[in-house]
Amino acid sequence: MNARDLSLASLPIVRVPGVAIVLVVLCMVFALTSPGFATPANIANILTQSTILLLLALPMTLMIMTEGLDLSIGAVLTFSSIVLAVTVVATGSPTLAFLAALAVGLCFGFGNGVLIAAFDIPPFITTLGTLGIAQGLSLLVTDGQSVVGIPRSIEQIYSGTLAGIPLPIIMGALAYAVTHVLLYHTRFGTYVFALGGNREALRVAGISVRGMLIRVYLFGGFMAGVAALLMTARLNSAHPTAGIGMEFDAIAAVAVGGTSFERGNGWLLGTLLGVIAVGVLRNGLNLLAVPSSAQVACIGALVIVALFIDGLRSER
Amino acid sequence: MAVVPLFELRGISKEFPGVKALDDVSFEIRAGEVHMLVGENGAGKSTLMKILCGAYRADRGSFFNNGEPVTIHDAGAARKFGIAVIFQDFTLVPYLDIAQNIFLGREFASRLPGLIDRRRIYTEAKRVLEMIGFDIDPRLPVHSLGVAQQQMVEIAKALSQDARILVMDEPTAALSDRETELLFAMIARLKAKGVAIIYISHRLSEVFDLGDRITVLRDGRKIADLLPAETTPDQLVTLMVGRPVDTTYTRPSRPSPGGVALEVKNLSGPSGFSDVNLTVRAGEIVGLCGLVGSGRTEVARAIFGADRTTAGEIRLFGDPIGGSVEDATRRGMALIPENRKTQGLALARSVGDNIVLAALRKMFPTGLFKPRRAIKAARAIIDKLRIATPTPRRPVGNLSGGNQQKVVIGKWLNADAKLFIFDEPTRGIDVGAKSEIFRLLDGLVHNGAAVLMISSEQIEIVHICDRAYVMRSGRVAGELSHRELTEANIVRLGIHQ
Repeated sequence: MNARDLSLASLPIVRVPGVAIVLVVLCMVFALTSPGFATPANIANILTQSTILLLLALPMTLMIMTEGLDLSIGAVLTFSSIVLAVTVVATGSPTLAFLAALAVGLCFGFGNGVLIAAFDIPPFITTLGTLGIAQGLSLLVTDGQSVVGIPRSIEQIYSGTLAGIPLPIIMGALAYAVTHVLLYHTRFGTYVFALGGNREALRVAGISVRGMLIRVYLFGGFMAGVAALLMTARLNSAHPTAGIGMEFDAIAAVAVGGTSFERGNGWLLGTLLGVIAVGVLRNGLNLLAVPSSAQVACIGALVIVALFIDGLRSER
Repeated sequence: MAVVPLFELRGISKEFPGVKALDDVSFEIRAGEVHMLVGENGAGKSTLMKILCGAYRADRGSFFNNGEPVTIHDAGAARKFGIAVIFQDFTLVPYLDIAQNIFLGREFASRLPGLIDRRRIYTEAKRVLEMIGFDIDPRLPVHSLGVAQQQMVEIAKALSQDARILVMDEPTAALSDRETELLFAMIARLKAKGVAIIYISHRLSEVFDLGDRITVLRDGRKIADLLPAETTPDQLVTLMVGRPVDTTYTRPSRPSPGGVALEVKNLSGPSGFSDVNLTVRAGEIVGLCGLVGSGRTEVARAIFGADRTTAGEIRLFGDPIGGSVEDATRRGMALIPENRKTQGLALARSVGDNIVLAALRKMFPTGLFKPRRAIKAARAIIDKLRIATPTPRRPVGNLSGGNQQKVVIGKWLNADAKLFIFDEPTRGIDVGAKSEIFRLLDGLVHNGAAVLMISSEQIEIVHICDRAYVMRSGRVAGELSHRELTEANIVRLGIHQ
């Protein structure tokens, strides 16, 4: 009946999302104002630096689609990175250290998931609590000092290349591909849409809502563990305040990408574009020598502008 | 009769904290029958169906499948017996497409481990949709569909599970007459295939037209098992409410109408109506009918100032109004929306808070809220409308549907409204409360108010209105005087020629 009218509104031109417009405008502005911006080296640099954020923003998209979020993801990243560094310094085994970091991430993810799904504590409160725990543990273990003495084999994960492509970019692409398949081609992904859109639909279909929610947060913990490897490699050390505020960037990137906090309306490609937009903004502002405190304000403004454009579009 | 029922529930009891929802209810389902389940809101119909489909677990009771004792401990078990439910609150996921919704929880495995076979979902969905004669692209996301289309998706979902027992909870509540006909035709086809249908309805005509058997619940207990041929609507209603009620509410004589309260001239608007003319006088109830989607609600919203208009004029008590809700309410207009839970009430707030909500500026001109004055005003309204609440402080969400509707009306009475626009005032309200709502409307016009009432239930329009306008495709197709006001005339004007 009215299905025909609707397909008109979903024509690609009418539906250019806010994040794409924002990204194009940002690139144009920086390309004009700073000569170093539009060089292949700088673009590779932006993508490399965006990888850690991408690893956090991908699971954050799923959490936000389920009407949740993970405020602890930056702090869990930090703590995983510290455990990784401490383990590798103590044992000399990068593999063991990486597994330890993954275990830390998975533990926090599982804890978040159980508290949210089984004990019905709101995600905001739960992850605010675990944020404090992870941050506190980081400071406790390190006494506020950096952990140094990371072997070169770990450092090379960030600086190395494969077939001329920086390793972080390959890892980011892989993580995106995995999340894409997970969200759009598995039962789990289908149920993520339902967790935010209509949990009753899952219940009457005989699917465990709790089990699915726990998996969503486990996935977040896993990605935080992987991101910890990249961050430790990048800093060539572990620092107890390194991941502070990363949750803000991740949530901002998801919001810029057009994922809504209601009804399970999510868009993974939007998150990728959102992450790149945040990366471009930070990079461009760095080139223009804008202090990092002002950059945070700019990311905030970015969120508002992108959502404003999306809002204009949905006004028909 | 020595028929082994397809499925049987025996001695089902279920308690929620503080409420005995079901008390020793037995219920049997036979192949190829339409089994009507009736009762007032809160009688336990939905709870019983949720137990049947495994969404709730019964505290006590047993189940029999073809005479064999079985257990239903979760939704999967119910599905195994071919039980499928179409709930009133649809269990659809807005940002999944039609096919994904139909096969939610039953996705086909792909050859690659862990992945789902999306292509097969679409071909299977296409097949199911064709089976029920629903011509739509299964790739459309559900949030882009209308209510009737969503219901079709729900039915497709149930049938794709090879349901032997299909439960429908007030399936026609949101459907137009034409869509209802399609639904009934489908029910007939399913019956012929031997599918048993459990049909929950508040509409007596459906119960008698469609039902093979009737089960009546009241206060969590089974009151009667009936055959439609052996009972009358009046008897049925008496069983449902436990006391005799006049279903054919007769309109008391009304004094001749007074001055023009509302005059709409050549009104057109972008939301899909054009050149609408109508008048409502003080002391009369005027119906606004037509099919769902004919533009009734849109006209009402435009009159109220909630939607834009492109041409025409609206006069309230002789003076043109400015097209804003604020202006309309300040000058005595009230809109009682169709969906009282989301548009008419602040559910978590008290009865008293809701009653004073529309008159805050009038009652508290200094801007300071004075609780005692608010409670006093609320008490006056509660007494006047006989709202069943122990105290004005009770959250309005805890009241029954009929009493919630009274609170919405009371809110506007308290704000001294003189022109009331009702959009489907009896939707989701049980029979007992309906006649009370009608009495209330009568009371309003007796005190000199003017009422414009939108309703899909033609019988209600005929019984309660003095005149009616019938809309078709966004235009007023005709006006019916009290003498001409019959169901047949409404239908004749309302349908497309």
